[in-house]
Amino acid sequence: MTTEIAPSAPAAPVAASKKARVPGGTARDVRLLSGLGHLALLVWAIVVIAPLLWIVLGSFKTNTEIFLGGAFSLPASISPDTYIQAWNEANVGRYFLNSLLVVSLSTTGTMLFGAMAAYVLARYSFPGNRAIYYMFVSGLAFPVFLALVPLFLVVNNLGLLNTYTGLILVYIAYSLPFTVFFLAAFFKTLPQSVAEAAMLDGASHTRLFFRIMMPMARPALVSITIFNIIGQWNQYLLPVALMQGENADQKWVLTQGIANINTSAGYQAEWGALFAAVTLSVLPMIVVYAFFQRQIQQGLTAGAVK
Amino acid sequence: MRHGKYPFIVGFLAAPVAIYVTFVIAPYAQAFYVAMTSWRGVDANPSFVGLQNFERLLQDDVFWTALRHHGVLLLAMPLITIVLALFFAFMLNVGGGGRGGAMTGVWGSKFYRVVFFFPQILAVVIVAVIFGRVYAPDESGLLNATLGAVGLEPLLFMADPGIALWCVIAVLVWQAVGFYVVLFSAGMASIPKDIYEAATIDGANRVNMFFRVTLPLLWDTLQVAWVYLGIAAFDAFALVWVLSVDRGGPDRATTVLGVEIYRNAFEYSQFGYASAMGVALFFLTITFAALTLRVSRRETIEL
Amino acid sequence: MSVTPDSTSDLSRRSLLQRAAAAGLLATPAAGLLAGCVSGGGDSGPKAEGEKSADNPLGVKEDAELEIVIFNGGLGSKYATDVHIPSYKKKFPKANVKFSETQEVGTVLQPRFTSNTPPDMVNNAGSKLMDQGALVQAGQVQDLTELFEAESLDQPGMKVKDTLIPGTIAQGTFNDKPYVLNYAFTVFGLWYDAALFEKNGWTAPKTWAEFTALCDKIKAAGITPYSYAGANAAYYQYLVMLTSAAKIGGPDVLKNIDNLEDGAWQADAVKQAAEAWAEIGAKYGNKAHLGLKHTEVQLQHNQGKVAFYPSGSWLENEQAKDTPPGFKYAVMPTPSVTGADKLPQTAVYAAAGEMYFVAAKGKNPRGGMEYLRHMLSKEGAKGFTQLTKVLTVVKGAVDGLEISPGLTSSNAMLTAAGSDYFAYRFDTWYKKLDDEARSATNELMFRGGTAQKFCDRMQKAADAVKKDSSIEKFKR
Repeated sequence: MTTEIAPSAPAAPVAASKKARVPGGTARDVRLLSGLGHLALLVWAIVVIAPLLWIVLGSFKTNTEIFLGGAFSLPASISPDTYIQAWNEANVGRYFLNSLLVVSLSTTGTMLFGAMAAYVLARYSFPGNRAIYYMFVSGLAFPVFLALVPLFLVVNNLGLLNTYTGLILVYIAYSLPFTVFFLAAFFKTLPQSVAEAAMLDGASHTRLFFRIMMPMARPALVSITIFNIIGQWNQYLLPVALMQGENADQKWVLTQGIANINTSAGYQAEWGALFAAVTLSVLPMIVVYAFFQRQIQQGLTAGAVK
Repeated sequence: MRHGKYPFIVGFLAAPVAIYVTFVIAPYAQAFYVAMTSWRGVDANPSFVGLQNFERLLQDDVFWTALRHHGVLLLAMPLITIVLALFFAFMLNVGGGGRGGAMTGVWGSKFYRVVFFFPQILAVVIVAVIFGRVYAPDESGLLNATLGAVGLEPLLFMADPGIALWCVIAVLVWQAVGFYVVLFSAGMASIPKDIYEAATIDGANRVNMFFRVTLPLLWDTLQVAWVYLGIAAFDAFALVWVLSVDRGGPDRATTVLGVEIYRNAFEYSQFGYASAMGVALFFLTITFAALTLRVSRRETIEL
Repeated sequence: MSVTPDSTSDLSRRSLLQRAAAAGLLATPAAGLLAGCVSGGGDSGPKAEGEKSADNPLGVKEDAELEIVIFNGGLGSKYATDVHIPSYKKKFPKANVKFSETQEVGTVLQPRFTSNTPPDMVNNAGSKLMDQGALVQAGQVQDLTELFEAESLDQPGMKVKDTLIPGTIAQGTFNDKPYVLNYAFTVFGLWYDAALFEKNGWTAPKTWAEFTALCDKIKAAGITPYSYAGANAAYYQYLVMLTSAAKIGGPDVLKNIDNLEDGAWQADAVKQAAEAWAEIGAKYGNKAHLGLKHTEVQLQHNQGKVAFYPSGSWLENEQAKDTPPGFKYAVMPTPSVTGADKLPQTAVYAAAGEMYFVAAKGKNPRGGMEYLRHMLSKEGAKGFTQLTKVLTVVKGAVDGLEISPGLTSSNAMLTAAGSDYFAYRFDTWYKKLDDEARSATNELMFRGGTAQKFCDRMQKAADAVKKDSSIEKFKR
């Protein structure tokens, strides 16, 4: 994918150099850069969009058309059959709502608990502070599936297997390392003077946190919220391990649903329906993204700069 | 200030620490213990074997292959992603040249930013399903159909052990670039306009400007990016698992530690051995993080 | 420490060792605690048991709940919900049968076995199946001797074991005890489109020379003569390759491999077979297919782009939806590699497959066995074949049933083989060897590997398994 940019590059100087009026090497370089740059941007945009559009095209094809017809040829007939199949048999709609429910609750929980822990760890000194901080941060380094079986036992013993409560708690727990790591760094940078002033005014620690520190940390909170939403939305291994038992397939999240069709495509070869399901699950993301892309980018802006 | 400090600390830490210890620390601690047993995953009383699993690990070719792949991922993936993202971000923010004193992006930069970022919000499972078809080794695949259209021989992509790992890296980059474009754009936007103005007055062109102004002032953001990408490089499991031929193949050409851990645990039922791999991975990741943090701290001081 | 070699010092040494071990545990106080966690709930509690009688030979408790888990793959799960569960419930109307299906058997069930809360009957299959050997080793699997000795459900006067195709019980035996029921009876060969062959005047080859000569003709006609899917189905290929090896050197070749005998993979027969197939791969294969999944290559087979395809008798059903109307599935045994093969060309790889077992530590192991008895009834087997187009191990269950051309062809092949059919077990006993064989086969067939390299590589892997004391070994 990345190499595609390089071979197409030599075409650019011709167009760019025509416009080069300023004499001298550097000026020409600049034009060249500009021309190359435009082209590179365009190529990358195509590289990003093309696979997605192509999958949409494929969702209307039969197996035979997908594998033996031309890759760019149009399907013999456009019918919504594959979409109906994806919707009915693969329950894409239900899984989407399940994902929405789980992720909205787990992200809220992650933000609340993560911010609380990060704040205390960043701004209060007490014995064991470093130990707890490193305990959280070390979680960044551990591969999740290693804990899978012991985790299952823990969840099972708590009677939370195949429940959203269990899944949400586990999501929160596994999102804490990065959230704490990120927010602690941010809380450290907030000015001490504001906190001191508030305390002089008689504000309690709790009040200080919710009324003053949280609003001040808003950019970082927005940023890490987006991180967590994306991360938890994409989670696959944890729900596979924890959402099982009677009627578990009613409670599956979207990634499980998609993977399930992908596996059955391996057995029964329903590739069109698989592509339709992929399209259906991507569409709402596009819509949400189209509406909120400014907030998403602003959130990241604030988070990244500091 | 002192009043009520400890109740407050305990109150705020209790819930997060309880959740974290229950669902993360306890299972991982068990995993550490399991690494020193010959547990097969289904028997109730694993026998303790000490460091035997780790000794085996050192002689396991597959383990070293996987480690080598992490090395490649760790170098190539962040590097390619950062270079591309920096270039795009520069074009989008400063590439349009000075207009009325302010630096602007190229035409359509807003559109590009939206499009580039989009793959980031797709689930890895979905990305893997999509690229499974994009990389199809015959002309039913998007890439091979494109190659065929310009008269080139089809490539085997995931089926060619020589390039399969690079195909995986390409997908990781494909998904990541947009995020870092936005990240770097944010960094660039925070660079004061008058610095650019001053540079323009001094006669700096855009190439100079990039290397003399943008890059140094973006150094902190670059380090953040490197850490994020490094963590991602250790977590290529899901993509490799779904996308690669023969799960980590052909012939382990794309395998990573996660895949081997999964395979040993859930396919060979050698949980002890798999856990030992996980422990090794844990120390590797810790080392990487520690090194990166140390390096970045020194840099910050130097600045 | 200086101890004189007498009995007291021996004793003291032992107690010393024990103390050292205890100290080791104390040094890591968490270890004992964690071990407790790992082992989960301990014993699973009382097992449901009822009165044994002629009508209820396995002593099933009539109202005990029964939980079964079915792998939802190529066979679907309809045969369970529409045939076997109703059959069980008809016999025990008070029993509640809890049914669930999954495509990730290992991921879903492994933790349940660990915590000693397994379902009662499991269909252990699919790409994520559990290591059956490890389960047996851990004492998780019910000994099925009682089931096979019990009277058949609908063939009065016959014991269950007498209603089965010979070799069925052996296929599920681990160290002399039957633990697993392999229910589906599958025969393997090279599949082709009889209509295509007829149109071109091609006939099924019997010798290797005929085979390669035909492949040349097919290649000249613009068709890929032979292919399989490297991405996920390399075991179809090592299966036919080892079939060739067994034909060259006799079935003991496979037995030696299963028993991890020294040099079993380096036997001449294996080498010759690998050599012969490597040539097919190099000259008549399609390198791109290393990257394809089995369904994709099968689709090409259906479209007449691939002539020979190695697979089992489920193929026809699996492809039912994508098979064009003119396509006529037919199957042939692998051609003889040498003129001096120990087994005739008609010999085939045929085996009972698709594992079903009863959890020994479940709540209702008797119900689990009873469920298998219902599967092994004539009606149960017939219903299964009707729904899946796959034969079962129950003799004569499909008599008088209309069957498809592919099934007819594989039946004919099996009949022609007579008693010359064989199978290996190493792939289920030692999953690691299965994986290695897949990789090694892909190397041999697609990537210019040599027979010598293949044999050495497999021998090395087999030796490693043999040396690994943590893996229980099996013999046959």
